Amino acid sequence: MTEAQWLLIGLLAAGTFAIRLTGLFVGDAVERRPALRAVLHDLPGCLVVALVASSLAGASLQAWLAAAVALAVAAWSNHVILTMAIGVGAFIAIGSLLQI
Amino acid sequence: MYHYHYKRVFDTTASSAPAISLDMWRGATLILPLGIGAAVYGFAFGVLAAQVGFPAWGIGLMSIGVFAGSSQIAAVDQFATNGAVAGAVVAGMALNLRYLGIMASLSEVLRATPLMKKLLAVHVTADENWALTMSERARDPSVDADFLIGSGLMVVVMWTGSTVLGAWIGAGVPDLSGYGLGFAFTAAFIAMARGLWRGRRDLLPFASSFAATAVLVRFEVEGAFAILGGAAAGVIVSGAIRLAAAGRAGTAPERPS
Repeated sequence: MTEAQWLLIGLLAAGTFAIRLTGLFVGDAVERRPALRAVLHDLPGCLVVALVASSLAGASLQAWLAAAVALAVAAWSNHVILTMAIGVGAFIAIGSLLQI
Repeated sequence: MYHYHYKRVFDTTASSAPAISLDMWRGATLILPLGIGAAVYGFAFGVLAAQVGFPAWGIGLMSIGVFAGSSQIAAVDQFATNGAVAGAVVAGMALNLRYLGIMASLSEVLRATPLMKKLLAVHVTADENWALTMSERARDPSVDADFLIGSGLMVVVMWTGSTVLGAWIGAGVPDLSGYGLGFAFTAAFIAMARGLWRGRRDLLPFASSFAATAVLVRFEVEGAFAILGGAAAGVIVSGAIRLAAAGRAGTAPERPS
């Protein structure tokens, strides 16, 4: 592995353990503060949406159409693996349709 | 009550070293269906990670050391896209903030647990075994840290094993990016967003987050900063909506669920 990969794994492991440990000892205090609690509960969803946006920004029509299919599957099934499988399948199918 | 009796017997045989109790085994077996779900996801993650240049043993190390699926996917995706460690770590950690609440809810379960065992329990708590422990405990109050640890260790084994297997197979196949493998990351994030969707009140924050990120990427803001900036925009919009609603109702801001 490269030095950067080691660093990524080490920092993410240490940071994740720190968050879990912090939660055990001060999680209650954090959850009792409405403003902080609201930010903590809003952030993960907004962050994941931002990840979707950054991977789609500047991407091909093929990716956008496949994302629409994946969104429909996710909305209906709420299932990660099913969404990934049908999403990738749609990406391939749309790719070959656009080439015709 | 029978397992309470057996637990006492087991505990007296090993007072210092963490012993494998019957509750641990019970947790480890009851978690199996949920563990299989995590393993399928882990296998897919392993294939993706190998395709972007992580060795199988490195992915195994990451799965044992981090043990948080969605944050591993987000971090590896960001690292592969931008090559920047800091942004990838921050994106991954932000997804783990939910563990503040999850761990807080376990403070009662872990209160009497010795320190080393408590640290182990902290590390092996994932969504799956947390949910199972809480639901079992609601039925049977004797369910304790041993159940959490036993089920958690089983998820660690299944998650790590499946990610390594995926990475091993992923390294042996040719470049799959032409077949839409890169899109698998996007699809995974779309599914995660669906899982985090709490109803119509999320529509405007999510839309703002999406639009702000797209604009930041358009103006060539570096990947992780575009994502954090976009997410911040969504959180601010959500806060503004909450404040406006509280202002209309003339009360203090309501607590989100």
